[in-house]
Amino acid sequence: MTAGASAEAAAREALRGWVRERSAAAVPDDFDDHTPLIASGLVTSLQITDLLLVVEEMRSAPLDPASLRPGVFRDIDTIYATFLADRLGS
Amino acid sequence: MTDVPQLVDVPGLRWTDNGSATLSEPLLGLADRLDRRFVAMAAHWQADELRFPPFISAAELERIDYFRSFPHLATFPVCLDHDEAGLARFTAGDPVGPDGRIALGALAPSHDVLTPAACYHLYAHHRGLRFEGCRHFTTKATCFRRESHYLPLERQWSFTMREIVCMGTARETAAFLDRAAALLDDFVADLGLRLDWAPATDPFFRPSSNPQYLMQRVDPTKHELLFDDRLAIASRNLHHDHFGRAFSIEAAGGEPVHTACMAFGIERWLAVFVRSFGADPAGWPKVGT
Repeated sequence: MTAGASAEAAAREALRGWVRERSAAAVPDDFDDHTPLIASGLVTSLQITDLLLVVEEMRSAPLDPASLRPGVFRDIDTIYATFLADRLGS
Repeated sequence: MTDVPQLVDVPGLRWTDNGSATLSEPLLGLADRLDRRFVAMAAHWQADELRFPPFISAAELERIDYFRSFPHLATFPVCLDHDEAGLARFTAGDPVGPDGRIALGALAPSHDVLTPAACYHLYAHHRGLRFEGCRHFTTKATCFRRESHYLPLERQWSFTMREIVCMGTARETAAFLDRAAALLDDFVADLGLRLDWAPATDPFFRPSSNPQYLMQRVDPTKHELLFDDRLAIASRNLHHDHFGRAFSIEAAGGEPVHTACMAFGIERWLAVFVRSFGADPAGWPKVGT
């Protein structure tokens, strides 16, 4: 596994762990990187700020809330592709 | 501020610089016909109509953290303290100064806020209730939002809002909004207006630190019907279970009810008519009776 691939796997696992720990709803048994986070109620407005901070920390760069586009927090796969892939690389 | 010329010298409009408009014919009749048209739309769901007072308990809006989200918009009804000496001081001086400012002095405790959005009353009114099935409501209110500047008919401190609200399941509220938007699109097409829906966010105070703003950015639940890409004359809003949780309103299964609303800004519809068809009612398309 390349360093980039290892970093991606670690980032995805960290995001999954955060959701399991912080979700307001019951995390389904088949939860994976394509499970809708907001539509399923796993992430609500109560957690969205913390999730933003987690992503900022992982990418070591701030995110401008006004630049956020619809759907960017749809699922972990989208979060990784939108905010982390270009920073962590794989 | 917009570069679009203000609406002035419009028959039936008397504008006051405090951000309020007085309507008379022909605008008043048009406003009433438009509202009846929206009420007829609400009848599609046999919506119950309610009429509320012009203010609402601040404690109710505290349930949704309104005052941290929109402190800049709030307008409070205040009263002089009933202390006899304080009232005597108020009357002995100049109650209203040359600049129009009221020498208020000591105020009685305030517990209310002038209605900022019509639908808030409906959530407070049904607090603690359980619905056995999907319900629809409609109400019209004079709403108050303090702004940095005002424009006749387009941005007012006090304005008229008609709302249709659905309380039900996630599926029912989503279906309601789809149907309401389709009905409104048909109406707009009949009028010959060119308007477009666009995602929107509410005007939060310090939005970047407000989780509700962040949520609206990444999961748009508010869409506005825009005239000229700038003026929202209606909005459709999917609240999920936000108000159901905040006001302990339950669906049949005991879970928080989901809610959605379609809102119409009546004065803004008048502005669109005048800008699109002119101030002469002879040029206006037929709205209804």
